[in-house]
Amino acid sequence: MAENPPIIYLNNAATTWPKPPGVVEAVQESLALPIFGSGRTTGSQGEDYISLAREAVAGLLSVDPPEHVVFTQNATDSLNLLIQGFLAGCDAGCHVLTTALDHNAVLRPLHELERQGRIRLTILPFAEDGTVHPDTVEAAITPETRLMVTTHGSNVLGSVQDVAGIGEILHDHGVYFIVDGAQTAGHIPIDLQALPVDAYAFTGHKALFGIAGTGGFYLQDPESIAPIRYGGTGTDSFSLFQPRDMPERFEAGTHNTPGLAALAAGVNYIQSIGLAAITEKADRQTAFLIRELKSEPNITIHNTHPALPIISLEIQGIENDDVGFILARAYGIIARTGLHCAPLVHRVIDGGVGSVRLSLSWFTTDEECRTAAKAIKEIAKNANPSISSP
Amino acid sequence: MRILRSVRHKSCADGSFMKEFLLSDPIPEGFFTYLENFGEVEALPNLGEGFYKFEKPDWFSIKGFVGDTAVEVRFKKEVMKLTVDFLYLLFTSYREGAVDLSRVKQREEAVGRRVQEHLYGHT
Repeated sequence: MAENPPIIYLNNAATTWPKPPGVVEAVQESLALPIFGSGRTTGSQGEDYISLAREAVAGLLSVDPPEHVVFTQNATDSLNLLIQGFLAGCDAGCHVLTTALDHNAVLRPLHELERQGRIRLTILPFAEDGTVHPDTVEAAITPETRLMVTTHGSNVLGSVQDVAGIGEILHDHGVYFIVDGAQTAGHIPIDLQALPVDAYAFTGHKALFGIAGTGGFYLQDPESIAPIRYGGTGTDSFSLFQPRDMPERFEAGTHNTPGLAALAAGVNYIQSIGLAAITEKADRQTAFLIRELKSEPNITIHNTHPALPIISLEIQGIENDDVGFILARAYGIIARTGLHCAPLVHRVIDGGVGSVRLSLSWFTTDEECRTAAKAIKEIAKNANPSISSP
Repeated sequence: MRILRSVRHKSCADGSFMKEFLLSDPIPEGFFTYLENFGEVEALPNLGEGFYKFEKPDWFSIKGFVGDTAVEVRFKKEVMKLTVDFLYLLFTSYREGAVDLSRVKQREEAVGRRVQEHLYGHT
């Protein structure tokens, strides 16, 4: 291997790469200019990246007013804050629902609360199409059910939940609803004014094209949860208690300004293309890859109709980690192998072995898809019969 | 051939600890034949210049391509401190052509006793 092949990056469900040029420029610019954030700096020479990001995200997710968008470090951080906030004051009687599709960002905070004896947890199964049906949710609700937390889009199967249908049922029963939008924000149209959800968590570094260290959540009713972080906000500083106004109620400490500059630029880039075009391209490329890979009998695809550009597969006769290694070193294709931090999905679909995951972004080209399909089929052809000795 | 440095590492779902190592020279095919003296080697020769995987149960596995200057090693975490020096030795001891294995074999035996004792409480 005299030279490494050019990189084909298909791990966008973890972190998108490359970023739009404007994102890199925004980070550079934000670091070069003096910080200007309301209440924290006098003068007005610089950009207020925090407000720009809030307005951009609110516009993309249809949040009104924008102050109901709260910034955090990432989706995991958001989910921890929301779960702890909605369950503040819960004792052993509280019942919480989640699903087998969920990421450890949801499962671990909930299991910790269950271990502490503060909640009773029910994990709902998913159907063959990779979704949890609203009927399954309704059947699991008890008079003690206080909260449901679920992923919007599965990071393993690429399936998208019917959060409208689930949310209506939950609200009919007075149950709060947190949606983990880590995989859907930036990929599909989301109207949080119309959806019956109490909170929606997002991250900046995936399909919103921001950088790591940014994320946030939408909160429908600020009074529905208690803040669990307290500190300086640059506002109402005589008060020794956390301001009740949004978003200061939940945003203590200095913001990640370069990160939020990147997030604003990333979201603005998405808006400049339009979600319809993003979805259309993703659907077409995903369908192409699935069609190609299905033609090779050694390849198993775990969901052949994903709603997101995420494809999980296995190749008979070769370990997933070996497939990932071969793709990376021989073809320059960056995929992801393993459990993808969603262990319960894998118990169902592959006995806990894990999968090879390909995930696309707006920047994935048709040529890259063709090269990836060819490479994976080549590995599959060579993996069977079983590995030979030298 | 020497290991220059490790460039990436992570804890794996199966409990192993993965490290990617950069090497001083491209791996010759003969290296994987050499490794057969110490464990099991499997190959997919038609992929790239040949994909190889060496497995030494309870110690570590090595995977790599002929001609590449990087390998991925998965250590059994509990005994990694005992086996990592032997990994380096495998690379530095390899020579093209006939190799005197006696010194490396002696070392393998000594480390093997300590690995057995650490994992199973006996040799």
